[in-house]
Amino acid sequence: MKAVLGLLAGRLAISTLVLAGVSVLIFGIARVIPGNPARIALGPNATKEQVAKLAAELHLDEPIWIQYGHFVRDLSRGELGISLYTNRPVTTDIAQFLPATLELVLIAGILMIGIGLPLGMVAAKYRGGFVDNLVRIVSLLGVSAPSFVWAVILMLLFAFYLPLFPIAGRIDTEFAIEHVTGFLLVDSLIAGEFRAFGNAMWHLFLPAFALSLSGIGQAARLTRANMVETYEKPYIEMARSYGFPAWRIARRYAFKPSLIPSLTIIGLDFAAMLGNAFLVEAIFAWPGLSRYGVAVILRKDLNAIVGTVLIISAAFLIANLIVDLLIALLNPRIRYARSAR
Amino acid sequence: MTRMALEISDLRLSFEGITETTEVLHGISLSVAPEERVALVGESGSGKSVTARAVLGLLQSQKRVRMSGRIEFEGQDLAAMTSRQRQALRGSRLSMIFQDPVSSLNPVYRIQTQFHEVLKRDDPSISLEDAKRRIRPMLSEVSIAEPDRVLESFPFQLSGGMNQRVMIAMALINEPSLLIADEPGTALDVTVQDQTLRLMRRLVERRRAAVLFISHNLGIVREFSDRIYVIHTGRIVEEGPTDAVFANPGHPYTRALLAAVPRITGGDIPEIDENPSAYEAPRVVHAPAAGVA
Repeated sequence: MKAVLGLLAGRLAISTLVLAGVSVLIFGIARVIPGNPARIALGPNATKEQVAKLAAELHLDEPIWIQYGHFVRDLSRGELGISLYTNRPVTTDIAQFLPATLELVLIAGILMIGIGLPLGMVAAKYRGGFVDNLVRIVSLLGVSAPSFVWAVILMLLFAFYLPLFPIAGRIDTEFAIEHVTGFLLVDSLIAGEFRAFGNAMWHLFLPAFALSLSGIGQAARLTRANMVETYEKPYIEMARSYGFPAWRIARRYAFKPSLIPSLTIIGLDFAAMLGNAFLVEAIFAWPGLSRYGVAVILRKDLNAIVGTVLIISAAFLIANLIVDLLIALLNPRIRYARSAR
Repeated sequence: MTRMALEISDLRLSFEGITETTEVLHGISLSVAPEERVALVGESGSGKSVTARAVLGLLQSQKRVRMSGRIEFEGQDLAAMTSRQRQALRGSRLSMIFQDPVSSLNPVYRIQTQFHEVLKRDDPSISLEDAKRRIRPMLSEVSIAEPDRVLESFPFQLSGGMNQRVMIAMALINEPSLLIADEPGTALDVTVQDQTLRLMRRLVERRRAAVLFISHNLGIVREFSDRIYVIHTGRIVEEGPTDAVFANPGHPYTRALLAAVPRITGGDIPEIDENPSAYEAPRVVHAPAAGVA
């Protein structure tokens, strides 16, 4: 456990450095994009003086390193500036939109792991057989079509032709849930409104499933490939020679060692869903951070862009951190190599 | 006549390819009496490992494998059993030791977990603590001085020799009546291999298990086994008590195998001083064919 905590501390330090680097990068890039943010915000009818005044308010007339200094000063107070798009503090916007996206991505991630890994395991157990081929075809479909295509197809099939699921939104308007965390699933449980929880879940399912399909395919294919390789290892033959049942061998002896290489990719997939969520959010009218991010980029809303990118980078880093910890827990070699030092 | 621990008669085995079928065993017959140590000797690809896996019933479920002939284990025909019955024999009445101990133990589980699983084959409800209580004396029998440290370890934390001993202990803990040893310790260095083989010999004698010992190394076979079968390209070419085969090898292939046993000339490893030209003189030579001492 001490070794794992040490690993965690080291990773956190590195993550902070990476985040600082990302902030410099995105700060620079956002300002290199052509177009004057003040002009875009005020529209074509504003006078030159009005534009210059707003630009001065936003410190846009100062050299970029001074601007960065302002940004760091704000950040140290826990502020990210005012969004030109919503006219509210960027932190408020993020607090409003982030929970919806996280909820979506978390459920999609659970679907990815809960469906993808078992599919891969079943395929590997019946490798070369009918079930294997079926899983491989299905997972290939999942990987090869982008999530927004699935979003449209699923919406047409299961919300429009067969109205099993709602077409848009996070929850029906009849439910008024008190805002505590912003996560509807959590808030509805806090309020003890189980019908609202069910309703929110019902709204979540299609977008989360559409978002997770490529991840499911990826996880299934990866798990299958790693397990098929593991099945050739001497320790599997040894397990067979001891007469362990075939399913036990699949679950315990072949799956666990194969999980370690799969986890890294699954963690990255998980984080990548934050970005992929945008089109799914757009299609299902999901009021999430990815939609917000694209809207602010199109309006060159500098403060909001930097804030959104920082939050998404932080989510990436956290996802990677969790994966590293899981790998350390699963793989005794890593765990013990660390404590030996 | 006493019931044989293992009796194979006219075993033929072939692998089906896409266009043709390759027969790898062309009618093998051999027998192992209870408590007898029998060696099956041959070069790589001669069919010895395939024979071992057929006895364990690991090949019968493969689609590409065609088998005929009889394999009787303690008088029961393996082919007449269901795969579930064969599975029940493995790990309890019948066990196997593999070539490379390090890669044959699962890398992500502690030794105690793997041992526990093996004991569950015999007694499905055994707890980890009870299992450990049974494992500790077994480990000291294979000269492991700190059983608890070893039990807590993962295979990669132990040396090859340690892993080999763990594997021997694992194979024998359920008191099998037949142990199949497939080139045990070939992946280890010669001294460690020698030590572990001595341990294994002592253990099987004490537990009165029969052994089918598979090897390409006649030197080891000579020390270990009562009887020898020489297998060549899927056929048994010679059989007999170990001493007789060594004293008077009948088949040319046996003589070639005997000639391939490396010997150190002049007894011990010679002293070599710092003279570079002496390093070039061969220290190990192949003996002339036949009549190996």
